[in-house]
Amino acid sequence: MDAIIARDLTKTFHTIARRPGFVGGLKSLVAPARIAKTAVDGVSFSVREGELLALLGPNGAGKSTTIKMLTGILVPTSGSVHVAGIEPHRDRERNARTIGAVFGQRTQLWWDLPARDSLAILRDIFGVEAEEYRRRLSEFDDLLGLSEFWDTRIRHLSLGQRVRCDLAAALIHDPKIVFLDEPTIGMDVVVKEQVREFLRHQVERRGRAVVLTTHDMTEVNRLAERIVLINHGRLFFDGSLTELRSRFGATWQVHVTLADAPAEVAVPGLRVLRHDGPRVAFGPGEGATTTHEALRLIIERYAISDLTIEENDLEDVMREAYLHREQVTA
Amino acid sequence: MGLVWRITRLNFRAVLEYRAEFMLKVAVGAAWQISVVVFATVLLTRFPGMGGWATSDVLLLASMRLLSHGLYVLLLGRVTWTHIIVQLGQIDAFMLRPMPVYRQVQLAFFNVNAVGDLLVAASLFAGAVLVVDVDWTPARIVYLVVALVGGVLAEGAIGTVLGSIALHAPATAYWSLWLDEMMTAFGNYPLHILPGLVRDAFTFVVPLAFVAYLPAAVLTGHVDTLAVPGWLAVASPLVGLLAYLASRLLWKRSLRAYKGYGGT
Repeated sequence: MDAIIARDLTKTFHTIARRPGFVGGLKSLVAPARIAKTAVDGVSFSVREGELLALLGPNGAGKSTTIKMLTGILVPTSGSVHVAGIEPHRDRERNARTIGAVFGQRTQLWWDLPARDSLAILRDIFGVEAEEYRRRLSEFDDLLGLSEFWDTRIRHLSLGQRVRCDLAAALIHDPKIVFLDEPTIGMDVVVKEQVREFLRHQVERRGRAVVLTTHDMTEVNRLAERIVLINHGRLFFDGSLTELRSRFGATWQVHVTLADAPAEVAVPGLRVLRHDGPRVAFGPGEGATTTHEALRLIIERYAISDLTIEENDLEDVMREAYLHREQVTA
Repeated sequence: MGLVWRITRLNFRAVLEYRAEFMLKVAVGAAWQISVVVFATVLLTRFPGMGGWATSDVLLLASMRLLSHGLYVLLLGRVTWTHIIVQLGQIDAFMLRPMPVYRQVQLAFFNVNAVGDLLVAASLFAGAVLVVDVDWTPARIVYLVVALVGGVLAEGAIGTVLGSIALHAPATAYWSLWLDEMMTAFGNYPLHILPGLVRDAFTFVVPLAFVAYLPAAVLTGHVDTLAVPGWLAVASPLVGLLAYLASRLLWKRSLRAYKGYGGT
């Protein structure tokens, strides 16, 4: 069942065009020219219950604006959005009971209060039963190690500690849907892994739908089942990691050591990049194929004694995807 | 109400833990109001009978204004900090909770300055009530209380209008400061001593007259000196309420057009 449905979601901001120079600045003051900037342009996608979707794109792509519309912070200019059947901007308070959100760069907790007091206030705001609250807090403590610092004021916590408290705060009312905007930004590797494990638990064991934005490709690799890419406010990819690799990461190399050392090596659909005795490096040829397909084609033709696959790492794939989109829109 | 009280109590406890900061803020609130009182005292001793009002009448007016202001700062004053709350990204966080955003703005922190404001204002008010030549009948006492609430709401309306604009334009911080200065400079005296244009601006543009001047005129029997009909002066608390309700509608509209803070 779909937890989130966005259809043709569009958000346009109206701003004053800045003219260059001092005189330009004065002109803008006297006769301002209003311009419309479309931050999100006709984006459609859905997220199922128990699915983790990574919403990715370069800086300024429209990810945060999309999340703000899905959470009810912003009203869409056009299009529709339903989160657990609720239109977030029309019924903000009911929507707030259904969702949880973490914006990694700023806290949603009371800056001067210890984390535990903040969580207790949220318990009261969301009307969580005392027993249920104790049980959830204990679970979050087990997974995130909160009790080491939950009596410290938020302003004195490290970033990693603060975001772990924010995660607990976002889930204290047991929401079906969770939005995470760069939740692990600035964390050390140990805490990052702890948070990733926590998120995996929330998706796999608790069946929550999670929308994650991040620039950390390790996170995407380890967590995302599905990826949505947006750039310049438009969605240009919606699929699995494998599909993403096959579409934008086709610059792999397969290094094989052949059992013989033939003078000529040729495999239809593959390109020979290097040939040095028995050692051959293949790359994708016309109609780029996957590494699995390449292996099948090589093994069908040659006996091999050794094999290494070099795939682009995800960052290369993403760079390729973003650049591809830039070229399409240019 | 229980939840509001609980959050306020926790916020108060939080500010208590920074003792030096707490004491400094209480002291500056008191110092601010004392300087206003000293200035008013100098004025009243040099020019007794300001605009036909006896010194004790002006004292009642000034104390009502200061007490309304202290209560406003305590109960509704956080709305003038909206520009900072927006810049910290807290409005976004407030919209993720099943509670009105306006209420969350008011519960964002405990404004310690209000303690100092109220200490001075309450002392001055107690003295003014004792010395002013007013027969304190039950009806007048009720009207005084209602007038103070109306004063809080009238100032709340001004703050809420500024807060509504601050949701989109943080530069309203300067307007808040300027208005606070204006209200401190002119709100404690009978406004009919000012030129007609300024008096009308403080009545119909910025509802300063409804905070204390008009209700004090009703209580001290100076309705005949006013430039507004007597019934409007009597209805000052109602004007404060209506102005506040209108400002809340503006806040609601402004919040709906909120553009968020931070990246795209």
